[in-house]
Amino acid sequence: MEKLRELVRTGKAKDTEARVKELIKEGKAPEAIMNESMIPAMDDAGDLFQKGEYFLPEIMVAARAMQQGMNVLKPHLLRAKVKPLGKVVVGTVEGDFHDIGKNLVVMTLEGAGFEVIDLGTDVAPAKFVEAIKQHKPQVVGLSALLTATMVAMKDTIQAIEAAGLRDQVKIMIGGAPVRQEFCREIGADFCGPDSTSGRDYARDVVSG
Amino acid sequence: MKLPHPFKEKADFEHFREMATGKGKGGPVPLVELFADPEIMSEVTGIEFPAEKYLELMNLSSQSSIEMLKLGLDFLELHLAFSKAVGYDYVTAFPTIPLARTPSQMGPNPAQQGKVRIWQNEHQGVITSREAFRNFPWPGPEDWSIVSVLVLESRLPPGARINHFAFGIFEEVRNLMGLETLAIKSIEDPELVDDVLEKLTGLLAILLEKAAAHPAVGAIFYGDDLAFNSGPMISPRWLREHVFPRQKRLAEIAHRHGKPFLFHCCGRSESFMEDLIETVGIDAYHSFQDNVIPVEEYYRRYHDRIGILGGLDVGILATGTPDQVRARCRQILDVCGPGGGYCMGSGNSVTNYCSVQNYYAMIDETRKWNQEHF
Repeated sequence: MEKLRELVRTGKAKDTEARVKELIKEGKAPEAIMNESMIPAMDDAGDLFQKGEYFLPEIMVAARAMQQGMNVLKPHLLRAKVKPLGKVVVGTVEGDFHDIGKNLVVMTLEGAGFEVIDLGTDVAPAKFVEAIKQHKPQVVGLSALLTATMVAMKDTIQAIEAAGLRDQVKIMIGGAPVRQEFCREIGADFCGPDSTSGRDYARDVVSG
Repeated sequence: MKLPHPFKEKADFEHFREMATGKGKGGPVPLVELFADPEIMSEVTGIEFPAEKYLELMNLSSQSSIEMLKLGLDFLELHLAFSKAVGYDYVTAFPTIPLARTPSQMGPNPAQQGKVRIWQNEHQGVITSREAFRNFPWPGPEDWSIVSVLVLESRLPPGARINHFAFGIFEEVRNLMGLETLAIKSIEDPELVDDVLEKLTGLLAILLEKAAAHPAVGAIFYGDDLAFNSGPMISPRWLREHVFPRQKRLAEIAHRHGKPFLFHCCGRSESFMEDLIETVGIDAYHSFQDNVIPVEEYYRRYHDRIGILGGLDVGILATGTPDQVRARCRQILDVCGPGGGYCMGSGNSVTNYCSVQNYYAMIDETRKWNQEHF
């Protein structure tokens, strides 16, 4: 299990896949493989990113290794009726096409065991509302890169409020121009400096 | 709407150069911008320009249609008029880039009353393999021209020179490979990334040789975003091996011709500032955000070694009031102005979502501050 954790953390995708197969063959519980090796591995990667020891490339290869391992593990998890840690709807707000930051959040959340519904970029407020109704997430993540586009975060939160869904979700926001003051102003619940803090917030939300 | 009071009567590039490179230790604070969006320049000058054509201008070449070449001239005209109207000590010249980039989108932004912005595809570029690198239609030396310098040289305001902009090699490798592909290849195929970077460095060197050698060019303004707000996109160790030595070669071209190498880089750059100063040999640093590190902090740390440029947060220029802009401007000037080695300007660029009133407030407050102190 420790070896698998190391393989994911260091982004060895093919070896990760092979190691997951080996562990299943050895009779290890799929849930244990996920919770004791793979999620801790992505936690390690996220923590190293926050500490400034990992950067975008290291996170991306780790996430890809995780993904490849999960492809093997998923059917076993489904058979064992293992549920994800929680659901998060994520998107870059309307008028903004940037998505590197959002993608990092998606990778980090998936690595932590969340089911993530990624709505992509340039997402209209109505589309967030629709996704909340359909998927019933505990957390919604809004991303923007520009001062000009972050105002759409406010429109999105207002649309969620108008649809009567605000009490059902916690809303986290992120992106280059976003600050705590703005977060309070538009009525969001959390504003984080990086994907790891978003992961930690989502974990806090689902753990109550 | 015109600037109520001219910032200064006459351009003085030599003073700008002294202050921008940190050598000038006293005297009025000059203005500096990496660039202003066409809509802002149009509003300031009263010259109409089709901002939605801006992206096409980047691919101008001798093969372009007459209509596009004329538009290129109009764009230079706009820069010249803008520089004169505001009172800059330089006119900015942009190179045309004969590189087939990754697909970009240009579209109206509903949050900006339909104003356009350019979005760069960050996933997959046009060079994702060794084969794609070999087959890429690389331009030859003859494709790089300084036509904008040749057009501007005889028309510069008295005392002004040209700041020649250059797109950096790390930005271009991202454009050609896509940031996500680049990130993965930097670990799995560093030789490929290295080869693309080397090719780009060689090509940019051709342009910089021509630009820096020209007597009308006063400085090279090199833009190469290397970092996110949280820190470098790729580890400083990797940048040290693959990027900084090449940037050094480019800076040396400028220096060989006696021209300063002004460096623009967005994001949190603390972990590699020493590399930029000591290895690359930058003369000035540009791009600051208050929610990353305020410009005053950089000034305190580095102004005895390099010039510090701009720093008035674009967020304030975009969403603040003129009074808030004036207050922040004065705060910055009180720290960075008295000792020299500083030029006032936006933290990044005057984007089309900034208000012209706020932009004018920044300029007018700097003018007043200069009058009070010098």
